[in-house]
Amino acid sequence: MSIVETRRRLAIVIPMLALIVSACGSQGTSSPAASSGASGGTGETVEIRWYCCLGTGEDAEAQLPTENRIVEEFNATHPNIHLTFEVVTYDEARDTLATQLAAGNPPDIVGPVGIGGAEAFHGEWLDLNPLIEQSGFDLSKYEQAAVELYAAGGEGQVGIPFAVYPSVLFYRKSLFDEAGLNEPPHAYGDPYVWPDGTEAEWNYDTIKELGLRLTVDENGKDATEAGFDPSAVVQYGYEPQRDDLRGMGAYFGPGSIDSGDGQTAEIPAAWADSWKYFYDGMWKDGFILTGPDYDSDQWAGQVDYAFFTGRVAMSTNFLWSTYGVAEGGDDWDVAAVPANGSTTTSPLNADTFRIMKDSKHPSEAFEVLSYFLQDASPDLLNIYAGMPAVPSEQDDFFTTYQEQFPNQVDWQVVKDSLQYADIPNWEGYMPAYNETLDRILAYGDKWATTEGLNMDDEIAALQAEIQGIWDQ
Amino acid sequence: MTANPLARRTRRSPLARREARWGYLFLSPWILGFLAFTLLPMIATLAFTFTNITLSQDEPLQFVGADNYRRLLGDPQMWRSLGVTMRFAILWLPTTIVAPFALALLLNARSLHGSRVFRILFFLPYVVPFVAGVFLWQSMLSNAGWVNAALGFIGISDTPDWLFDRDWIYPALVIIGIWGIGAGVVINMAGLQGIPGELYDAAQIDGAGWWGQLRHVTIPFMTPIIFYSLVLGVVEVMQYFLVPLVLKSGTGEPGGATLFYNLYLYKNFFTFQNMSYGATLAWFLFVITLAVTLVLFRTSRHWVYYAGER
Repeated sequence: MSIVETRRRLAIVIPMLALIVSACGSQGTSSPAASSGASGGTGETVEIRWYCCLGTGEDAEAQLPTENRIVEEFNATHPNIHLTFEVVTYDEARDTLATQLAAGNPPDIVGPVGIGGAEAFHGEWLDLNPLIEQSGFDLSKYEQAAVELYAAGGEGQVGIPFAVYPSVLFYRKSLFDEAGLNEPPHAYGDPYVWPDGTEAEWNYDTIKELGLRLTVDENGKDATEAGFDPSAVVQYGYEPQRDDLRGMGAYFGPGSIDSGDGQTAEIPAAWADSWKYFYDGMWKDGFILTGPDYDSDQWAGQVDYAFFTGRVAMSTNFLWSTYGVAEGGDDWDVAAVPANGSTTTSPLNADTFRIMKDSKHPSEAFEVLSYFLQDASPDLLNIYAGMPAVPSEQDDFFTTYQEQFPNQVDWQVVKDSLQYADIPNWEGYMPAYNETLDRILAYGDKWATTEGLNMDDEIAALQAEIQGIWDQ
Repeated sequence: MTANPLARRTRRSPLARREARWGYLFLSPWILGFLAFTLLPMIATLAFTFTNITLSQDEPLQFVGADNYRRLLGDPQMWRSLGVTMRFAILWLPTTIVAPFALALLLNARSLHGSRVFRILFFLPYVVPFVAGVFLWQSMLSNAGWVNAALGFIGISDTPDWLFDRDWIYPALVIIGIWGIGAGVVINMAGLQGIPGELYDAAQIDGAGWWGQLRHVTIPFMTPIIFYSLVLGVVEVMQYFLVPLVLKSGTGEPGGATLFYNLYLYKNFFTFQNMSYGATLAWFLFVITLAVTLVLFRTSRHWVYYAGER
């Protein structure tokens, strides 16, 4: 081979090798502080991918137009960043994100994502502390506890508080009036007052008594009257939040299936009590819809939640469920969540935006995150029905939020409920998160659809199966 | 001199060798495709079953021996899912054999006017994308859907909760499945038309009526088609997946009644990302399907009649 030819070949090979090496280098995880100034000095535009919707955010009419507008506004005011918006519906969002991660093609910013959605990807989130320090992002405006919620788990500060959804008791005034019953208490600690003036503690026993009186068959008889026909119920007294057994359990008290060592599964006693209470409410006492009835077209089949039909008197649910309560009429309000014994718990949902650990442009992603949490925050909170995590912004939020409802809602109850938030949060970390959650959901569905189960045996079997998953 | 018969079998003429070469050449795309996209992945998944491969691979890859198989045998959800598949199979397999056969008999009847139109009508659903068909049936089988409306019209007031009741979900799945039996009907019709007409003439002369002809001529000659349908039906039912995935988003509702084995397998692969355990489930399914198929082949010599055999 001649020297000229050798040089010519080297002239081709060396730049190619350089390209390959630099390309491989950019695949590595860079520290946030050192990352990316690719856009800064060179004027090059960086693409940031916003991945939605592990929580809310996919509603084509109520949410997507606003989200798209925010993306357009961001791109118009930030020439160094091109933000793209990827919408994957909730049902597919976890699998799709998992596949993107496995393929080494993660998005940069993910949200709105709740605690559960984020825990399904435990260890994949960026610690924001260096970026918070670098940018001078002000965390002092948040409640310290809210900030710490995103610092638990040993991964650093993986989120900044954004939207919170405390639980409240939704109820329909007209159904209470019709039954001649007083409305539930709005202030935590107040008793329930029966029509004869006697007072009862505002707890789940009282809910059951009220629920029976408010469960009515097609002949107009309630569940406490002789001749009541349980097969022809046209109105139910009470409906729990039934999306996930853990959340259902948390209404009776905070807890976690992880006993604390990250290896041993243990069902919290309060959760077991709650599951038995709700199971009996469905299959024995009959003031709660059974699973098949709940899913039918007459109830939740058409409207997501049975309370939205206007034919359920009370329902414990998260603030975000206000998106549908008006469908059943404008006679609704919110009251305090009942206590279980001496413990009052308002299970909490909390959404925010997070940055993936393997984002190639964490600084730019944090710029987007800051925009969402500050400039775009009022619009986003409004479409997500999320109470601002910043206490000073909550009154303004509810003033604006109230405008869509003809009836005056007692939003103070929502704000008060935050003090009874469940710590640890019911959606918190547990080993083998997706598989464990899948098994929990399967048991919840089984209990909702099967009569005559021995709940002690069922709860023991669930715990054993979870332990079996964790032992792998 | 007597030629060595073995040598005669192995020695080929130049023409035969050339033909064989061309034959292999034309077969080679399929062989390469089979090796690359079927055999090698199969071998790879078998190797996976002895490792701890996950999609995210948080832990170092290592050989775990028979751990995945031990886990499989002690996994209550695996047994429940297998039970779900078996329960459905008991209902579905007779349906998938009898319904296309009965329809083919009807469509093949000389007395049926407009049989071509009926043939097209019965085959038509088969060409509709199945996912679209599932959504359609989801609406038809809802509480207020057409099926219950029709039942109400004929005086049945306590209509089934097809899609949310653990007892009614299997009949609902069978009804959805029947919609796609067009191909089975075509195969059965081809079989029926292959039965020599003289046999029916002879049977008639011997005094056989409709039932006698069906029992002694039609069914024996159709046994190869029935056997074929049965084997395919077993394979299909073991892989049953699409309808419960679309209908219930893979949740297994109601009460785990639709968490079929293959759906559980899929979840382990792609939702829990446990490739090793997913592969173990896949191989267990393969072994079960193979065993059932072998039993069917073994028994077929006693009940399947091939007209060309002696």
